[in-house]
Amino acid sequence: MKKLIYAILSLDDNPDRRIAIPPEITGIPGDKLHLIRQGGIAAVAGNTNGDAVDTVRKAALQYAGIIENLSFHFTLLPVRFGSVMESEDAVTRMLEKNATAILANLQKVDNRFEFGLKIFCDSEKLSAFLVNKTDPAASTNDPPPTDLPPSVYRDYVNKKLKAHRLEEMMLAYVDSVIAVITSKVSALTSISRFTKMASTSNLIDAVFLLEKEKKDELVVTIAGLMEEHPMLTFMLTGPWPPYNFVDLNIK
Amino acid sequence: MTENKILFNTGSFDGIAEDIGKLTSTDESKLKLTPGNADSGLAKLVLTLVELIRKLVEKQAMRRVDGGSLTDEEIERLGETLMKLEMKMEELKKHFNLTDRDLNINLGPLGDLM
Repeated sequence: MKKLIYAILSLDDNPDRRIAIPPEITGIPGDKLHLIRQGGIAAVAGNTNGDAVDTVRKAALQYAGIIENLSFHFTLLPVRFGSVMESEDAVTRMLEKNATAILANLQKVDNRFEFGLKIFCDSEKLSAFLVNKTDPAASTNDPPPTDLPPSVYRDYVNKKLKAHRLEEMMLAYVDSVIAVITSKVSALTSISRFTKMASTSNLIDAVFLLEKEKKDELVVTIAGLMEEHPMLTFMLTGPWPPYNFVDLNIK
Repeated sequence: MTENKILFNTGSFDGIAEDIGKLTSTDESKLKLTPGNADSGLAKLVLTLVELIRKLVEKQAMRRVDGGSLTDEEIERLGETLMKLEMKMEELKKHFNLTDRDLNINLGPLGDLM
């Protein structure tokens, strides 16, 4: 029977190894989940008949919900949606081969959850704000002085140069906001990741790994940022299973 | 999900939903190579790479212009070259019926290619 893998978790916190999945947490088709154990780790798996898991939105949400429910009971590594292995033996071999890396990752995320921060902006308003703030001597509107007659090529370069300077200003601004966030959350966690300018409106996409009990402190910290950056829109979410903090290449 | 996941939000939900929608991949931002569209699929792949390299060259050129290391004549020639490259790319996109969005592949969590 093929196995649909939801998560990998540690058995070390349960020396008697009688760890069990709460019965209210079931798999996508409503089947019972079970553990495939190997040493100090175990994969949470369900049976599946299909060659491919239905990749519709509903199934993906169900899958995420199951992992989330498990995360409230165990320290775990979430597994990518639709991860199917040929048999229980194949799962055991995978756990055995990757045990060292899995245990290192489990240790990193032990008792911690992921929190996500997305920062959006109106890029046109922010650009105008940054240009106005710039030293007039380095204004993005001023072409470099020249004695040559006007030319379409020079105008083209000037237009591109203006866009380039604006982009550099935006990046510098994003870096400054990231530096502020990093310093403010450093008291809560040292584990964070940032993605800069994933789109024109999404300036920063950040994820933090921290204990669930520190959630309220994180909210207060991020709320403080809002007052310093009224042009930006903040959305803080969580707690999530540690999706962005699993560094594992399964062999 | 078992609980409300939004802990803090300073924007409107509609606005944020729209912004998040821009982060997800669309049909245009995917490479779909099938036996039936090998020509156009390959054109999209090749032009995506060419456009990426063209933009990198342009960026590096602007750094040099901004750094003041080019003479007026060099800037003039550079402008002519970059402009012609951009025009040629527009021609190629039109020929293969592609848009800027088609050439901006979505790299998932990393965002758009360009």
